[in-house]
Amino acid sequence: MDLKYILDQIDPRLSDKDLKQKQKVIASLRKKYADYKDPWGFDLDLIEQLLTIALPLYRKYFKVRVFGLENVKDTPYILCSNHTGQIPIDGFLLTIAMAYEFPNNPRVIHGMVERFLAGFPFLGSLAARSGSILGDRENCKWLLEKGESISVFPEGVRGISKSTPDYYKLQTFSNGFFRIALQTKTPILPISIIGAEEMFPFVYHAKPLAKALGIPALPLSANLIPLPSPVDIYIGKPYQLPKDLSFETATNEEIRKHIYKIEKQIKANINIGLKSRRKWMGLLPSMKTKIENKHG
Amino acid sequence: MDNTKKILIIGISGGLAQILAKLISQNHPEWKIIGVDSRRVNKVEALDNLSAIRMRYSRGNFEALFREHQFDTVYHLARVSHITQFYKDLTKRLELNVMGTNRILDLCLRFNVKKVIVLSTFHVYGAYSDNSIFLTEDAPLRASLNYPELRDVVEMDQICSTWMWKHQNSINSVILRPCNIVGTQISNTMTQYLQSRFAIKPIDFNPIFQFIHEFDMAKVLYRSIDELPTGIYNVAPDDFISLGEALNLTGHKGVPFPVTMASLFNKVLKFSNLDIPEYLIDYLKFSCLIDNRLLKKHLGDDFNRFKIDETLKLLKY
Repeated sequence: MDLKYILDQIDPRLSDKDLKQKQKVIASLRKKYADYKDPWGFDLDLIEQLLTIALPLYRKYFKVRVFGLENVKDTPYILCSNHTGQIPIDGFLLTIAMAYEFPNNPRVIHGMVERFLAGFPFLGSLAARSGSILGDRENCKWLLEKGESISVFPEGVRGISKSTPDYYKLQTFSNGFFRIALQTKTPILPISIIGAEEMFPFVYHAKPLAKALGIPALPLSANLIPLPSPVDIYIGKPYQLPKDLSFETATNEEIRKHIYKIEKQIKANINIGLKSRRKWMGLLPSMKTKIENKHG
Repeated sequence: MDNTKKILIIGISGGLAQILAKLISQNHPEWKIIGVDSRRVNKVEALDNLSAIRMRYSRGNFEALFREHQFDTVYHLARVSHITQFYKDLTKRLELNVMGTNRILDLCLRFNVKKVIVLSTFHVYGAYSDNSIFLTEDAPLRASLNYPELRDVVEMDQICSTWMWKHQNSINSVILRPCNIVGTQISNTMTQYLQSRFAIKPIDFNPIFQFIHEFDMAKVLYRSIDELPTGIYNVAPDDFISLGEALNLTGHKGVPFPVTMASLFNKVLKFSNLDIPEYLIDYLKFSCLIDNRLLKKHLGDDFNRFKIDETLKLLKY
């Protein structure tokens, strides 16, 4: 039985239940986005392919668990998350979670990409076709007004270039996303992601090389493939926007008060997540009880 | 009053100018249209109320023309394209596009023209990876930042804008910045590209384009006389399409090619003088989409007749 359990853990194939859920998600996405067209080249066929490739990683490799599904309603959101790991795999897993964990009402979360990536051959185009866009205020506004949800990592590159002692320490959030939320009256969904920091243990931040390559950060790690660190995603209660604050007249100090509250909410869930996190790999039968995934 | 209206179209040999002339002629057979061009005019379609004149674009010739006819409306559609044989000679283009335009505008003021309509282009915004979507008319004109050879296009637009606001109380002026105009009657680069069997289809980028049918563009030009107040207007339909899909619709699937390598190939082609302007490559990489809300405010939501897929399918024939 233990051997069967171990084999199941390393088997990359999805269970029948997962496959069935995947089919349902794809059918729902096809229905939802049948008439959707965006000026970045959104491509539903590509999203289906990516989902098919990424789901085994999501379910079997990173063994993602999602908590707080009940906090998500059928409305556009700005998903505001902590940034972890040297490569933004956290954003990628969050995007899959928002589709896969909601088979009846999946959504494609539009991530924000850095300027250097938007102009990169192949990658820029791949990102745009899969729904990720340049993190520009007008772009975000356009999507939110169309009823789409976006994800932001307001720590920016500081979030993914942290050294080991700073893992899970939130870096100061930038203000931009809150102004967009005020302008478009979109609720903010605080997201805490645990597990992604350990995928690429930090060795060295090659700042001079990053500067020479024209990229914002280049944290180096000893491994090229992410380690199979189990990931937990906590979805907090939507942050209600103040009614008395205007996006045009609000001062940075007024906005910071609210951002501080969002940071606090994300930190609280990070602390909960760190206490109940699973051990690496989770292959040993003795750990089986700890790997009880919400979805079996 | 309308019986005496006189229209000047500069650049009458162009396909768009001829569609415009026909449109004006159909709607107002009583108006008199004078079309001038430095190119041959013998192929210009004959219309009862159109006189097509070939003349050298010089100050003296234009002055004589303005003196002889009291024009009510002047269409300046004669921008020398950076794609033509002149494209390598920036000085010549600056002379024609910038200085020439300036002289025409001054003549319009001197001879009490009521309305000037200038055809600029969306190229003035430039193709950049960090372009915001749907650039409004007040977006910075960044085309010449990376490519100084586009200076004439930007400067012509800027000179018209400055002049327009300076003289807004004396003369009505409209500057139109259309997206890619395509159609079977105009032979611009984009139409030729879409009709070419050997069109490069980028595999490493997926730029999104806006296309307007030549007839719709001519109609916007025509309606500008009475319906557009002084100002700058982007001209584009609501719809947009990826370049790959556009090529599929025209029936030529294009030759898949990494545009990143195009610059390298272009450098090799330079030796044989077959190279294309470097900045055109950027338009195959990055989107430059323009906002049409201001135009729609005046011309209505349904100002264009052709949907984007119809526009492209019509290029097949």
